[in-house]
Amino acid sequence: MSAPTSTNNLLEIEQLSVCFGGLQALDRVNLSINEGEILGLIGPNGAGKTTLFNVITGLTAPSHGKLRWQGNSLAGKKPEQICRLGLARTFQNLRLFRELSCINNLQVAMGSNNRRAALELLALVQLQEKADAAAASLAYGDQRKLEFARALATKPKLLLLDEAAAGMNPIEKQDLQALVQRVRCQFKITILIIEHHVPLMMQLCDRLAVLNFGRCIALGSPEQVRRDPLVIEAYLGSQR
Amino acid sequence: MDGLLQLLINGISIGATYALFALGYTLVFSVLGVINFAHGAVFTCGAYFTYLLLGGAVGSNGMLAGMHFPLALPLLVALPLAGIGAAAMGLLVEAVAFKPLRRRGAEPLLYLITSLGAGVILVNLIQLLMGAEAYALPGNLLGRWPAVLALGHGVQIRTVQLLLLIVAGIAMLILSLWLNRSSYGKALQAVAEDGTTARLLGINSGAIIQLAFAIASFLAGISGGLVALSVNIGGPYFGIGYGLKGLGVLVLGGLGSAPGAVLGGLIIGIAEALVPAKLSAYKDAVAFAFLFLMLILRPQGLLGKPPMEKV
Amino acid sequence: MIDISLFVLMLLGALLALAVYLPLRAGQLSLATPGFYTIGGTVAALLSTQLPGLGGSDAVYPLTSLLLEMIVAIAVAGLLAFLIGKPVLKLRGIYLAIATIALVEILRVVLLSSPWFGAAVGIFAIPQPFEGPEGYLIAYGLLLAIVAWACARLERQPLGMAMAAIRDDELAARCMGVSTDQVKLIAFVLSAIVAAAAGVLAAHYFNSWNARQANFDASITTLAFVVLGGSRTWLGPVIGGLVLTALPELLRPIGDLRLIVFGLVILLGPIFIPQGLIKSKQS
Repeated sequence: MSAPTSTNNLLEIEQLSVCFGGLQALDRVNLSINEGEILGLIGPNGAGKTTLFNVITGLTAPSHGKLRWQGNSLAGKKPEQICRLGLARTFQNLRLFRELSCINNLQVAMGSNNRRAALELLALVQLQEKADAAAASLAYGDQRKLEFARALATKPKLLLLDEAAAGMNPIEKQDLQALVQRVRCQFKITILIIEHHVPLMMQLCDRLAVLNFGRCIALGSPEQVRRDPLVIEAYLGSQR
Repeated sequence: MDGLLQLLINGISIGATYALFALGYTLVFSVLGVINFAHGAVFTCGAYFTYLLLGGAVGSNGMLAGMHFPLALPLLVALPLAGIGAAAMGLLVEAVAFKPLRRRGAEPLLYLITSLGAGVILVNLIQLLMGAEAYALPGNLLGRWPAVLALGHGVQIRTVQLLLLIVAGIAMLILSLWLNRSSYGKALQAVAEDGTTARLLGINSGAIIQLAFAIASFLAGISGGLVALSVNIGGPYFGIGYGLKGLGVLVLGGLGSAPGAVLGGLIIGIAEALVPAKLSAYKDAVAFAFLFLMLILRPQGLLGKPPMEKV
Repeated sequence: MIDISLFVLMLLGALLALAVYLPLRAGQLSLATPGFYTIGGTVAALLSTQLPGLGGSDAVYPLTSLLLEMIVAIAVAGLLAFLIGKPVLKLRGIYLAIATIALVEILRVVLLSSPWFGAAVGIFAIPQPFEGPEGYLIAYGLLLAIVAWACARLERQPLGMAMAAIRDDELAARCMGVSTDQVKLIAFVLSAIVAAAAGVLAAHYFNSWNARQANFDASITTLAFVVLGGSRTWLGPVIGGLVLTALPELLRPIGDLRLIVFGLVILLGPIFIPQGLIKSKQS
């Protein structure tokens, strides 16, 4: 499906499988993420999207297969080491440091108490007014934005966004789309994004990968994926 | 060889007490996921209740000095009654130290503090009412039975030890039958597995938790009475040492595992009995050394399930 | 009339509370504080009674020797905490609490049973660096000021923030690049150092020393200091340590009821003020 080793491949996923007991969460997934692209990951609930994120960020060990980051294996690396290599993520069910202030949330991720740099990032997501408020006190949409900024604060090369727009209203979703595109240009980073809102993904992503029952059933431009009969049957067909 | 057999018998009978104690911890742990640090104090209450119900008089130092229970009940009546008294104490502890926090979904750390506060209050109430002195249970409780039974080859068992073993064995048997066969027992296990789902299925988890406390405290009360019979009551604080050893047993067997609690109790009891007399000063460290090694090597214990974290 | 020795004990309480607070800030419930406190006291008692060279020529024990004891005790406790912390801090929540309870129990039994450490009777006639309790008051005041200042500074540093982040969500902290194992170990070692330093002064202050100080009650009492004072910022444990040490003494007029009132305070505190007296500035 994708060309093996080429210079602009940031992350290569090869024959990746994960089993939980008898459940095959991921089944021989192959995926290459090119530097600078926005790659969308879609698929029905339980298709293995978050599991893939967990494997990439070192939270779940793969049963089989390989992960290569800029040509080097990620096998056996701890989550904190993987983060420092330049992979940062957000979480499907928001995992902020709830009792810490917004600015402290970013400072932990930056590993420094540089207030100025943290405020700049907060301004990027329009939360500079809330800098000293506890993360838990923010509205849901603001918490999502804060988590996004926190991931950026680790200075990633690859940003993994898990259900980035969940719980957001249509206006917030548009803002998020603009923000993701802006961040890609401004910070020169690559983005892997999981999101259920298909129209948003069609506009935002350069390429889309479709997971179903742990298998990658399609990969290509949004146009190609939209017309793929397998996708229509397996994924779009199962939508309400 | 016979010497070894004798040590084993001693070890098993003390281990049975530890097991009863740990069963109480594990019952509460399995439904709430926290440890009840007032359990040692409830055990102490059971010992004092037994003493009083047997007709023992209060010593000269407490507020109740010189008073005594009007009836001197036979041991086999006094013991279960003391257990029921201890169960009432356990329910009281649950109501003041656990329920208010549970309603709020508080962090587990706070249960540790509140249950300890409840334990401190109970122990000091005993001291206030009965004084700090040691109490010996009357010596003629066994009536016509001999104090020591000879098993041949010079091996013997104290009748109290045998009684302790029998009661512990019966309690464990009934408990495991009840847990696995009765509808209440199944409900308790359901709450232990997953409180939220159990609630959705219409199981009243509040009542189940109270039930767990009542049973755990009943067992603690009975073991308190039996230990008092075997080694006397050393004062209001005498339950604390057993309480801490019970923790060792709990971890060794696996938190939340009832068969594990029994196995852990027997292993630690036997291991303590096998400590040579020359090193007997170190005996009290045995349970904790086991505990420590087990936590490092296999945190889920012998029969516990490994914890999982959901991302 | 309140005795000056009560103030000494209150400062000691505040120091021990800070020792409990440090790992707790990183979400680690360690009950080992009385153990490291006892190690500090034992080191001081052994050095000052067994090494005649430290005594000097004056009747009063030299402060330089006290400082030397402090350094040795800190090194011993710190090293021990480092070695023990590595395996023990892999445990979570209640498992860690139980493992540290076991450590304290093992330590007490070993110290009380071996003649090198004074066995059950303990070590007596520990020389006095100060002529009266006022000297100890100043020494403890100074130590508390240093430790509290260091904690306050730590809280604004990346390390202190990382500790709080681990407490909130360890997994998220790892995913944000925090070396959680290392941060937890540092917090544990710092805690041991604070407790040991407090123990060195205590051995001299009490004049005699035995390992009975390392017990489960002490673990829980010091934890209660932090829970009631508040575990979000350094001021909480300090206030909790001062108040709860004074409380049983202030309640002395009510006699035997005082420990029951103390029990009521630890029972009701978490129910009515779950965050403690001193809350964090955000919430």
